[in-house]
Amino acid sequence: MIEFDIRQQDGGSVVGPRGRLTMVSARAFRDAVTEVIERDGGTVVVDLSGVSFVDSSGLGALVACLKTARQAGGDLRIAAPTEQVTMVLGLTNLDRVLRPRATVEDALHG
Amino acid sequence: MAEPSRRYLDAEVALENLEAVHELLEDWWGAVGDVPPRVRFGFDTAVIEIAGNIIEHSVRLDDETGRRFSLALTGTERMLHARFEDNGRPAGIDLSAVAMAGSEDENGRGLALAIASLDRLDYRFENGRNVWELESGRG
Repeated sequence: MIEFDIRQQDGGSVVGPRGRLTMVSARAFRDAVTEVIERDGGTVVVDLSGVSFVDSSGLGALVACLKTARQAGGDLRIAAPTEQVTMVLGLTNLDRVLRPRATVEDALHG
Repeated sequence: MAEPSRRYLDAEVALENLEAVHELLEDWWGAVGDVPPRVRFGFDTAVIEIAGNIIEHSVRLDDETGRRFSLALTGTERMLHARFEDNGRPAGIDLSAVAMAGSEDENGRGLALAIASLDRLDYRFENGRNVWELESGRG
């Protein structure tokens, strides 16, 4: 399963899932990020350093969250993806719309 | 020549059993030995996508109970192989027509991602069962 750290930092909100972001957990992830977008707005960074594995459902949730953030006038950025997540973002070409930043700090201020 | 590394799972087609597939893969990799990360992550990704496809197909389109799937993993000195079978309705998939979803789409990446992650993916309906075969070289 998956757990979330949610925190406020200078420059935006940070959501840090820990575990696998798959068909099993994608809905809970999407709900958690949507709640942060609706409550805080602005820039939301998804810290992927604790996500060991993502599947197409997890990618779909990230795309949905990006759209929700932009519709609310904000943005969603991703930071510190692990090796499997980086590979999958590349194979699906999603690294063009969800360009990974090396660190949460880079994502908040870049 | 070393004996092939084999693992087998037979389970109900249910969302919670995606975790059982992850656990089977982790146990199997321990026996398979060193494989380049790109090969391992690609194979893991494809196996989970096909398992997810079987579960989604069954849950969305098939209200019958008693659906089960099996997964057989085999690692040899040169190849990695996975075979899924399930007794759900025919998936009716033409893999040659699969294309990657666009960047704005929330669905439609699973099979394209599996194809991109493997050396070979085959699907057929055989003797009343959906059969998926996945294969990659060890790299």
